[in-house]
Amino acid sequence: MEQSTKENVYRKPGVCIPWEEKLKELPPIPGDAELARQIWEEVDQLGYIFIWHCLVSF
Amino acid sequence: MSKSKAELYQERLKRYTTAVKNGKPDMIPIRPFVAEFTARYAGYSCQEVTHDYRKAHLAVRKCAADFDWDAVVGNMVYVWTGLTQAIDLVYYGVPGIDVSPDVGFQYREPPEDKAFMRLEDYDALIQDPTGYLFNTWLPRVSRAIVPPGEPATFRHNLAFLKGGMAMMDYFGALGEQNELLRDETGTVSAISGILKAPLDIMADKLRGYYGLVHDLMECPDKVLKACEALAPHLLWIALSGADPAGNVPITMWMHRSCVPFITPDHFEHIYWPTIKPIIEEIWRRGHQVLLYAEGNWDFHLETFRTLPAGSVIFHVDQGDIFQAHRILGDKFCLSGGLPNTLLSMGTPEEVREYCKKIIDGVAADGGYIMDASAIIQNDARVENVQAMTEFTRDYGQY
Repeated sequence: MEQSTKENVYRKPGVCIPWEEKLKELPPIPGDAELARQIWEEVDQLGYIFIWHCLVSF
Repeated sequence: MSKSKAELYQERLKRYTTAVKNGKPDMIPIRPFVAEFTARYAGYSCQEVTHDYRKAHLAVRKCAADFDWDAVVGNMVYVWTGLTQAIDLVYYGVPGIDVSPDVGFQYREPPEDKAFMRLEDYDALIQDPTGYLFNTWLPRVSRAIVPPGEPATFRHNLAFLKGGMAMMDYFGALGEQNELLRDETGTVSAISGILKAPLDIMADKLRGYYGLVHDLMECPDKVLKACEALAPHLLWIALSGADPAGNVPITMWMHRSCVPFITPDHFEHIYWPTIKPIIEEIWRRGHQVLLYAEGNWDFHLETFRTLPAGSVIFHVDQGDIFQAHRILGDKFCLSGGLPNTLLSMGTPEEVREYCKKIIDGVAADGGYIMDASAIIQNDARVENVQAMTEFTRDYGQY
């Protein structure tokens, strides 16, 4: 999160750490890269929901 | 032969969804936003329904079973303070801990010089709203969470873990509550999804009201840019909680962005241009927005009229429901308008008289849902809520 702010990454709605950013940290993916992306984004979304509901709902 | 709960549910759903589309159902739907009233009725304290959501859910279901209501909110005591305590949020007064166990939870706005967002933070918020919330805002609103760069503590780690798990637990239980309301009592869950206007969020949780009105006068361009930056995120959160079937509306809780809290110019150039596109996009995606107009928004009725027909339901609190009907009634369903003071201090006869006045004045052609002006708390007398319900059922037949 801190790293993203320094790099001035645009964080779209629904995203905390973009998959493209995470992908740079990973070795070449030998398996299903699309599955890896999908699950990363689904779970990452939970962090987004947490912080925005803290602001809006609680 | 009595109806099954499933039949009753379908009947009520049809009644409610016809009305929200500004149509004329078989009778006026009753959809009271009952909050701490449920505790009073079910024999719980405010502390019990606020701090133990399971009791809140039981209380709502008891009311739904005993009153002939078409739709209710699964838990209108919406802040579960077990969750807010897990994150150690500074801004809630928790019943039974910070305030009396018989008083509803309180929101404590900080003084201007201790606003959760500082004046110099605008650029950081505008550049990266999500990062700003995690890195700067959350450490200020939580006693446990430390900002980046400082050593993480045991309580910091636990606040994220417990807070996240508590939120999933609570949202999961709300889904179950809606199913139980349907299956046990045939009652419709009245709303799904939450929206707040960018400018309202700026005042509520970021700059505070005093800070915001200072900024509106001194740096309105920054405020506008901040609202524009927040808008896509508020849209995303609203849609993430929307009813997939599009039957029940997303609720927009409207706070202090009306005249005289802000000027007509700020409403026209900052508030409205940053909320109208959100409402229109939600409508384009098949959902309505319930404009829960807390306070008095009469000054802006002509502006709300510019929204697409049927895209919103307009809920009247302190405003003039008859004026709202004259200006909006041909395009939008209305709800509310029954003064809460009558429910707490009036007599059943006075409640019936006021309900008659509303029904005669605004509901003749459909497009009206009976409700109090504001959420119904534990000051409301049971016999008055019964009078509202029974009179509307008897007199509100089409």
